[in-house]
Amino acid sequence: MRLILPGFLLLLWPGLGAAAITVEVGENTGLRTWQWTHQGISLRLVQRLPDQTRAYLLGRGFPAAAADEAATSCFFGTMFRNDGTLPLDFDLNTWKVVQKGRDTRMLVREFWKNKLSGGAVPKAARIALHWSLMPTQQHFEPGDYNWGMMVFGLSPGEYFDLHMQLKLDGKPLAVTIPGLRCAPEELN
Amino acid sequence: MYKIVLLFLFVLSIAGASHGAGKGLTLLPEKPFVPDFVLKDVEGNTHRISDYKGHVIIVNFWATWCPPCRAEMPSMQRAWEQLREEGIMMLAIDVGEDEDTVFEFTASYPVDFPLLLDMDSTVSEAWEVKGLPTTFVIDQWGRKVYRAIGGREWDDPELLNQVRRLKQVP
Repeated sequence: MRLILPGFLLLLWPGLGAAAITVEVGENTGLRTWQWTHQGISLRLVQRLPDQTRAYLLGRGFPAAAADEAATSCFFGTMFRNDGTLPLDFDLNTWKVVQKGRDTRMLVREFWKNKLSGGAVPKAARIALHWSLMPTQQHFEPGDYNWGMMVFGLSPGEYFDLHMQLKLDGKPLAVTIPGLRCAPEELN
Repeated sequence: MYKIVLLFLFVLSIAGASHGAGKGLTLLPEKPFVPDFVLKDVEGNTHRISDYKGHVIIVNFWATWCPPCRAEMPSMQRAWEQLREEGIMMLAIDVGEDEDTVFEFTASYPVDFPLLLDMDSTVSEAWEVKGLPTTFVIDQWGRKVYRAIGGREWDDPELLNQVRRLKQVP
């Protein structure tokens, strides 16, 4: 991994200690990874090429057209960890995807369940997608973590800011990760 | 000075970039009773959670495509090798996959505790599992006592002793 210094931000919240956002580029893959950390909590977002997601969905039994449509919806591989000392809660329904001053919501498990029910995607494939997405709501005690994909509903190559709402020990915490980019269709 | 600040920022980023297993077991103060289930394992045997009443049970929800689930499997096997002689049970419930997929997985990750199949994920939902892996430790009376979200090193002595202590509760 190569650390991109211009993308390395240090943010300070009075009384809450330091938080950091790092941006790295995979030397072999060329894919970007953003990581936000704060008091032992971390969220890591790794770009996924549409082809990676296509292959994953086809492998789980998605028909080609449905796999292609989903794969171009801006998937990230994510890891959310609580290595701190306080309980953490999140609800992805409260997060905002902000692009050019317009905000939209993430495409969470319930979105896909509604979109795909009754269509051409077999039940086993729908179940696989459901469980491979980050839970919409979660409660992490210290030591807990989840891996899962997050979907931001934008086209390949689009830039956006992610506005997150968390609760740390029951207290609201608002965080913005600026300058995220959906993986392009192909890396140059 | 500029270099020192950069070094500090870099160290800070690495400190938060832990990729390893999670830690510890969360005590569930309400100790809810678990919903019963009837599931087949990869060998076609039927299991009911109520069959194991009177035993402390580790119940793990997982899937073959889930990296932290795969990562914790060897430590679960090592834990099982210690616990089975002590009458503590271990069940791993695969979510949403068929028997061929799980059977193929066991060629690379050999385990000999029962691997159950929750193909339509109804049991996982009834047990209020949100992400994989999630593991519960069930007491002799069929109550959820501990929960772990994310993988663990299951043969960690401290963690094993936490499970063993449940067996000693009268």
